[in-house]
Amino acid sequence: MLDLLWLIPALPLAGFLVLLFAGEKLGKSGVAWVGAGSVGISALIAGLLKWTFLTSPPEGHHFTQALWTWLDVGAFKPEIALYLDPLSLVMTLVVTGVGFLIHLYSVGYMHDDEDYSRFFACMNLFVFAMLILVLADNLLLLYVGWEGVGLCSYLLIGFWYKDPANCKAAQKAFIVTRVGDTAMALGFFLLVTQLGTLQVQDLLERAATRWEPGSGMALATALLLLGGAVGKSGQLPLQTWLPDAMAGPTPVSALIHAATMVTAGVYLIARTYVIYTLAPAAMAAVAVVGALTLLIAGLAAFAQSDIKRVLAYSTISQIGYMFLALGVGAWSAAMFHFMTHAFFKALLFLAAGSVIYALHHEQNIFKMGGIRKQLPLTYRTFLIGASSLAAIPFITSGFYSKDAILYQAFTSEHGHFLLWLAGALGALMTSAYTFRMVFIAFFGEPKTHVHHKPGWVMNFPLLALAFLSTVGGFIELPHFMGHAQFFADFMAPSFAHAAGHAAEAHHGAGLEIGLMVVAMALGLGGIAAAYVLFLAKPEIIEEKMKSEGNRKLHAFLFSGLGFDKLYDTLFVNPYCWIARVNKRDIVDLGYSFLAAVGMLVHFLLGLTVTGRVRWYAAGIAAGCLILMSVMVFT
Amino acid sequence: MWPLLVFIAAVMVVVAAQIVLSHFLGQRHRERATGEPYESGIVSEGSARLRFSATFYLVAMLFVIFDLEAVYIFSWVISFRELGWSGYFKIFVFIAILLASLVYLWRIGALEAGPPKRRLREAEVK
Amino acid sequence: MTEAQFVALSPLILVGLAALVVMLAASFKRSNGLALGLTLAGFAASLVSLAWAAKVAPVQVTPLILIDRLALFYLGLVFLTGAAVALLGHGYFEKRAGYRDEFYMLLLMATLGAGVLVATTHFAALFIGLELLTISLYALVGYTRTEPRSLEAGLKYLVLATVSTSFLLFGVALLYAELGTMEFGKMVDLIRQGGHRETLVNGAIALVGIGIGFKLALVPLHMWTPDVYEGAPAPVTAFVATVSKGAMTAVLLRLYLLVGGAIPDSVMTLLSVIAILSMFVGNLLALLQDNVKRILAYSSIAHLGYLLVAFIAGGNFAPEAVTYYLIAYMATSLGTFGMVSVISGREREAEELRDYAGLFWRRPFEAGVFAAMLMSLAGIPLTAGFIGKFYLLAAGVDMGAWVLLGSVVINSALGLFYYLRIVASMYAAETSAKPGAAAREVALLGSATLAALALCLIWLGVFPAGLITLIRSAVLGV
Repeated sequence: MLDLLWLIPALPLAGFLVLLFAGEKLGKSGVAWVGAGSVGISALIAGLLKWTFLTSPPEGHHFTQALWTWLDVGAFKPEIALYLDPLSLVMTLVVTGVGFLIHLYSVGYMHDDEDYSRFFACMNLFVFAMLILVLADNLLLLYVGWEGVGLCSYLLIGFWYKDPANCKAAQKAFIVTRVGDTAMALGFFLLVTQLGTLQVQDLLERAATRWEPGSGMALATALLLLGGAVGKSGQLPLQTWLPDAMAGPTPVSALIHAATMVTAGVYLIARTYVIYTLAPAAMAAVAVVGALTLLIAGLAAFAQSDIKRVLAYSTISQIGYMFLALGVGAWSAAMFHFMTHAFFKALLFLAAGSVIYALHHEQNIFKMGGIRKQLPLTYRTFLIGASSLAAIPFITSGFYSKDAILYQAFTSEHGHFLLWLAGALGALMTSAYTFRMVFIAFFGEPKTHVHHKPGWVMNFPLLALAFLSTVGGFIELPHFMGHAQFFADFMAPSFAHAAGHAAEAHHGAGLEIGLMVVAMALGLGGIAAAYVLFLAKPEIIEEKMKSEGNRKLHAFLFSGLGFDKLYDTLFVNPYCWIARVNKRDIVDLGYSFLAAVGMLVHFLLGLTVTGRVRWYAAGIAAGCLILMSVMVFT
Repeated sequence: MWPLLVFIAAVMVVVAAQIVLSHFLGQRHRERATGEPYESGIVSEGSARLRFSATFYLVAMLFVIFDLEAVYIFSWVISFRELGWSGYFKIFVFIAILLASLVYLWRIGALEAGPPKRRLREAEVK
Repeated sequence: MTEAQFVALSPLILVGLAALVVMLAASFKRSNGLALGLTLAGFAASLVSLAWAAKVAPVQVTPLILIDRLALFYLGLVFLTGAAVALLGHGYFEKRAGYRDEFYMLLLMATLGAGVLVATTHFAALFIGLELLTISLYALVGYTRTEPRSLEAGLKYLVLATVSTSFLLFGVALLYAELGTMEFGKMVDLIRQGGHRETLVNGAIALVGIGIGFKLALVPLHMWTPDVYEGAPAPVTAFVATVSKGAMTAVLLRLYLLVGGAIPDSVMTLLSVIAILSMFVGNLLALLQDNVKRILAYSSIAHLGYLLVAFIAGGNFAPEAVTYYLIAYMATSLGTFGMVSVISGREREAEELRDYAGLFWRRPFEAGVFAAMLMSLAGIPLTAGFIGKFYLLAAGVDMGAWVLLGSVVINSALGLFYYLRIVASMYAAETSAKPGAAAREVALLGSATLAALALCLIWLGVFPAGLITLIRSAVLGV
């Protein structure tokens, strides 16, 4: 059964190739079948593998499938192999499962787009690249997948390339993540040169045995990899691209910029967790990055008026939670939150997409209003997603995963009260801005007419994701609620090295309940506040907005805390200035000189080509003379 | 050394004497064909700068080649008994190859002395 | 002759027999197709008999020839290349008037000569093989008799090859005079033992080197290459560039393995200089050249320079690196010259750069294959050329031969320039190409051969492991 593994990435790749070469000839329904079908079958296979892992796990709880050895010269032996363990299996399941639902949704959402087949080709390529990234056995392959998803992200953000703003957003996403990628590549180089292998598992083994805990090398690589992770996952300080990335079609935002690709950073850190456990300072950095990001993004989300930008900031903020979890060594909690987040954030995006679709590409929440009655199904599913995001106690999956993170942020040996506080404040903000969005967009007076209602292909994914968002949390319950730890137990083999580090100190149920009550109170308080401020008494806000200072604050929050401006002045403008000044590239002069020398020598040598036999024979004789004299006289 | 020098000197003297004597003693006259090369007393026809058919050289070359191959056969013949059946077989292969090439030469018309009509016709199939 | 010897020799015998059969067939029925069929059958039989011979290898057949795994491997290579040239020649000569059958005959003879070269352990056999190869090539190079340039090239090749061969012969004579043997193994032993006149032997080795270097077209013995490559019919050029160089490389490899890498430093330096010069001269001369056949000729000079680097810097890797590089080089050269012959028209060959302008829009398939070949020559990843170059660099880094490596890197950049010039012109908008320069009709066999070659190149670039294993078993078996 496990031998089917290669099919999981192969099918989307095949789908991509078919769509690339024959997409125009297939017709819309053909494109839809190929595009969504390939991912759907992959998802089925992933489910089968999961079943196999649960019923008869392979030895050591991991499975390697070697596909191809490129070449074997000396020590250089790049191999293409897929590595499946609980960590990559969960990622695979989410990528294919959620990916399939989003593909299905896109069949309806993109139906009227003229570049239907291009869209599905890119989406399939993305799923392929993401699966390669997740299943990669070595760093080379992982890097290929990493850059592949970056490429697809670029292609899909700029999908509607006729609008220059979309292209700019695509470029921004590509360039900003590139900064992180460079750091990550350096980290990879360091790993390879220091540890002498490309295999991820070997690397981790060797790192654990060769590097002292707290050694400089471990710290350096961990920080460099963190650079890659923050770039891809939109974390501080490279978070600025993600809100702009909403320029792409909504299914793209749901799949790439919410559920899967942006969590690649989380995956990277989880995959190389051994290195982080060797570098406590790097772990602290991860936690601090996560905590700061979740606060900053939470603040920015308050001021947004574009429904997708609100969701984008909430994505940044939720990934901040995952980083926080990683930083305190709560590896499986991070992955758990990744999974539930994938469900409810995809749900939110798709539901928002339905609204946008129904309102004819209206994304401003202040122009929506009252769609609760017009699109009841969309409203209900959106509400489920929002509840999960806001972590409404007990009935939502978000509650369980966030609670696990907050609990460990407090109790883990890497945890800290301040980290917990940041997380708790974040929970308050999350529920507040989430329900701000719900109240403004779905309640009140209708402001825009609903054009067309989404059909079943768009509604079914919503229902499926709503279901998952609700029950997805029940596989991991807090200690005092029956202590079901299916997820953590399943993940345990992937984080075997960390067993000693992340052993949860038992603080008794009292503390756990206490922390949970605080978090619950904050979450519900946020909803209440949102209700008061945005539905019951919107005058308060209007009153406050009258003062100059508050308006500036709003503008500051609206711009995502001014990071774009800061980066423009610090990097972009100086760079453009240098580029302008150095229009005739000085470095180029050197190359031109070399080229001129090359031409000169070419003409000089050309003089020897006379076409005369005697000259050629003389050449042979001269060569012979030289050869003989060297051989005889030395 | 002496006799050699005497011999050379004698040769010189004889040759010089013949030329000088015939110059003084011989008759001299200037007729129409006096300065021309002759053979058997017949006045020559045309120029010596003939264009020979390439076949001429071809035949010469073929002769040289096949003649040379005969050397191998001779050397085989000389040690016929020592070489035994193995030698016999080898020379058989050798001669067979020669024969095959002869067939080839014959068929492409390399052995025909006349103007190469047949050959041309065959070659220019298209 | 024992049975084992006969079996071991059968690949060579069969090729010779095929030449004979083609000759006899030609004397009774002139047919391009029949001759091709017989030729291919001959090559196929030889290739099959290689497997047969492999069971008894290694076998020493008289002091002249040794059929071991190295020889068998290279024989396979030479025969396959010969068969590919025959396929290319079929389409090429089909378009042209005049004799066709003799092409196959000469091709078989030349291949037989190359076969003798790769299996030889004796200077006498080396000379026989070399002459068999070279004399057939004189005729092949000048094969299109009605073309003045082809005749000119044939004559040039005749004169210059004879000059170089006489150097070789003189060197062999001196070696024999001093050492009293012509067998490679014994010679190497005697030289190692010492007690001979160093000067004489060194000078003789230099003379032999001239003969070998001429065939490989290494600087300063390279000057004939562009003229001959340009003048010869394209399939023949493919043969000159591949089989004759490949066979000579096999000889070098055999000598290298016998010497065991114990080459004096001064010789190594000399070889390094030759390699560097070959790379630079070849690539620089190709740089602004407008004749595609000449570009490829210069590029082949440079490639032999790279190959020499593999010898010098290879260390333990050398046999493996050389062989892999050679195979990649042979396959690509075959492909590029084959492409020239496939798209050449009736009147003249498509050899000017402008004949290729816009080729992609007229004949996308051929243009794509050609581009793949050029990429492989340039050493772009996922082609066989890349693996070959990678081998070279890996071997060089192992030995720390930085000067050579630097030259290889610079020259790769230079090479990329003119390969991309061709590619760029193929994708450029079509200009007014001369009529008849590019054929309208497609030579099916030739195109199929090229497609197979391109697939093979990419296959070798993507899955090189199989071939590497094969090469290892071949060169380690010595």
